Amino acid sequence: MIRRLLVANRGEIAVRIMRACDELGIETVAVYSDADKDALHVRAARHAYRLGPATAAESYLSIARLLEAARETGADAIHPGYGFLAENAAFARACREAGLIFVGPPPEAIAAMGSKIAARQTMQAAGVPVVPGETPTDQSDAALIAAAHRAGFPMLVKASAGGGGKGMRVVRDESELATAIAGARHEATSAFGDGTLYVERLVERPRHVEIQIMADAHGHAVHLFERDCSTQRRHQKVIEESPSPALTASIRKQMGDAAVKAALAVGYQNAGTVEFLLEGTGEEARFYFLEMNTRLQVEHPVTEAVTGVDLVKAQLAVAAGEPLPWSQDELHQRGHAIECRIYAEDPARDFLPQAGRIVGYYPPVRPGVRIDSGVEAGSEVTVHYDPMVAKLVAHAESRDAAIARARAALAEFDVLGLVTNIPFLLRVLDSEAFRRGQLHTGFLDGEGSDLCASPALPAAALAAAVVRHERAATTNGSSAPAARPDPWTTIDGWRV
Amino acid sequence: MGGESDMARPGRYTVRDDSTSTAVEILADGRVRVGGDGGGGEPMTVTPLCDGRYAVSDGHVTTHVRVTGPPDARFVSVGGQAARLEVEPEGVAPRRKPRAGAGETSAPMPATVIDIAVEIGQHVEAGAVLLKLEAMKMELPIRAPRDGTVSAIRCRIGELVQPGVPLVELA
Repeated sequence: MIRRLLVANRGEIAVRIMRACDELGIETVAVYSDADKDALHVRAARHAYRLGPATAAESYLSIARLLEAARETGADAIHPGYGFLAENAAFARACREAGLIFVGPPPEAIAAMGSKIAARQTMQAAGVPVVPGETPTDQSDAALIAAAHRAGFPMLVKASAGGGGKGMRVVRDESELATAIAGARHEATSAFGDGTLYVERLVERPRHVEIQIMADAHGHAVHLFERDCSTQRRHQKVIEESPSPALTASIRKQMGDAAVKAALAVGYQNAGTVEFLLEGTGEEARFYFLEMNTRLQVEHPVTEAVTGVDLVKAQLAVAAGEPLPWSQDELHQRGHAIECRIYAEDPARDFLPQAGRIVGYYPPVRPGVRIDSGVEAGSEVTVHYDPMVAKLVAHAESRDAAIARARAALAEFDVLGLVTNIPFLLRVLDSEAFRRGQLHTGFLDGEGSDLCASPALPAAALAAAVVRHERAATTNGSSAPAARPDPWTTIDGWRV
Repeated sequence: MGGESDMARPGRYTVRDDSTSTAVEILADGRVRVGGDGGGGEPMTVTPLCDGRYAVSDGHVTTHVRVTGPPDARFVSVGGQAARLEVEPEGVAPRRKPRAGAGETSAPMPATVIDIAVEIGQHVEAGAVLLKLEAMKMELPIRAPRDGTVSAIRCRIGELVQPGVPLVELA
C-alpha cells in the first residue's frame, strides 16, 4: 500500500498523477525548482519540497535531491512521470535501495531496453519481428547479395561502423545491388577505415504504431491496444490516436501479442509501450519492433479514453504489489480518441519555442473533451523546460466524429499572451491526408510542410472587439459600472 | 444600467498590430465601424459575452473573439489563434512608452545571460558584442546599437532576463 507519493516531475503529468492519488486517498508530495515555485503542480500537491535552481540538472534530474526530498517529507513511493529520470535505471535502483517504491519497471528491465542494439537482439530472440537486416560475417559480394535477398527490397546497404548517411545506399532491386555494394564499401573504407557493410530492409513511408502494455509482479501482462503516432514533426509526436486507421483486427491482435511477448521477455512490470514501425495497410501490413519506452507516455490519455481505464491508478496498484486490475478479455477499444499536443511554439518561425507569461487561459469545456494541463492564467512558460502547454484529447463514436470534436474544441481554446501551435493543429486535422488516415511519419516534414504557415486573422472583427473591450474597461474605471467585468481588472487569485 | 448608455457614446480609436494601424469608430447606435472616416466596411454589432468574449457580427457572419491583457497590450484570440494589439483612444497621448531605445540592448525573449563581454567605462563601437544570452539552446549575441561608453550593466551572468529591459546602458 502506498501512503504518500512523491511525484518527481513537473507540469501536466505531475498534476495528472496527483489527481489519481487524490482519488485513491494517497497523499502527494510535489518537488519544484526555483522557476516552478508558483507552478500549478506545486499547489496541486499536499506537500511541496524545493529541489534547487531552475536548471534541470540541479533540480528534476538530481537523484540525490529527490531521495532527500522523499526522506524529509516521509514519502514511501516515487512516481517519475515521463522525461527527466523516468527511464533512468540508476534512479530506479537508488529508489529501491532507499526502501522506496518506484512506480515503474524494475531497473533491470529499464536497462535491458535502454540499449537499442541489445533490445533488438532480445526482441529477436523472443520472436518479436524486427526490421530485417544483418552484418554478414562473410563480407564477400556473394554473401552480401545473399543477405540482401534475406532482408528484401527496397533495402539499405550501409557502413556497419558509421552513421550520418556515409556509405549508405538505397537499393530498389537486384540490378542495383552490385554497384551499391562496391560504392558503399569504398565510401565506408575511406570514411571509417572499415569497409564492413550492413544490409537492412528500408521501411518506406512507415507509420508509428505503438502498443500500451501493463504487467504486474505476478507474471501477468496485458496489452491495451495501439496508439497511432504517425503525425510527427522531426520525430516529435504532434497528434496521436486510437484505434489506428491502418490496422485490421488480425494485425492488431498480432501486434498486441508481440508486445506482451516483449514485456514478458525482459521481466517487465508496470506500464510500458512497445513501439513498432508499420509498413503497408490492411492484411498486407507488416510491423517491426522499434523500441520499448519503459514509462508512462505523454499520450496515455488516448488509451484511457478508448479503454475506459485509469493507467496511473493501475500503475500505483501494480507498484504496490497488487495483481493487474483487468484481464485481457475485459479490455476493449470503444470509439475513437485523438490527442493534440499544444505547444508554446511558433510554426511560422520554424516552430521556435516561445517563452513568456500566459495572460489568458481558457480551455474548452465540451462533452468528450479532456484537457491535461500544467498551466493556468498567470503561469510562466520558461526556457528551462519543455514548452508543452496542454494536451487536448477528444473521444467520440467514430474517427470522423473525434476529428470534428477535436477541431471544435481547439478552435475555442484561447491561450493568450504567447504564440501556440493551435492553428497548426487545426490545419493538420483539416488536411486531406489526415482525414483519410493516410499519414506517415515523414508527412509533416515533407508533403505537409506547407501546413506550418500562419493563416490570416479576421482583422476587422478583432479590431471591433478590442475597441469594444477598451470602452468597457475605461468605463469600468469611471463612476458608471461596466456592462461586463474586464477579466484583467478582476485579478483575484492571479499571480502577477 | 448607467454603463450601457456610455457604451454607445461615439468615439474614435486607433488599433495597431506590428505592421498596421487601423482607425475604428464607435457609432452613436453602439455599433463599431472598422476602417473609419466613412471608408470602412459595414458597421459591426459587438455583443459582450462572459470572460472577455465578444460576438462580432457583420450582419452575415458572427465571429467569437476573446480579449484580455493589460491596457497597453491587449491580447486577442480567435479560432485558437492569438495576436497582440494596442488600442489608443483618439486625442489621448499614447499610454505606451515608445519602444525605441528600450529594446536596443534588451533580450528578444526571456533568456539566460551566459557572458558579459564589456566593463563599465569601456568604449564600444556600434556592432560590438556587449553580452551573450542563451535561450532555447541558442546563443544570442546582444550588440551595441551605436558607438558609446558603457555606463551601466544591468544583469549578471546566470541571470534569467526578460525582454524589454535594457541590459547594458551606453552613454
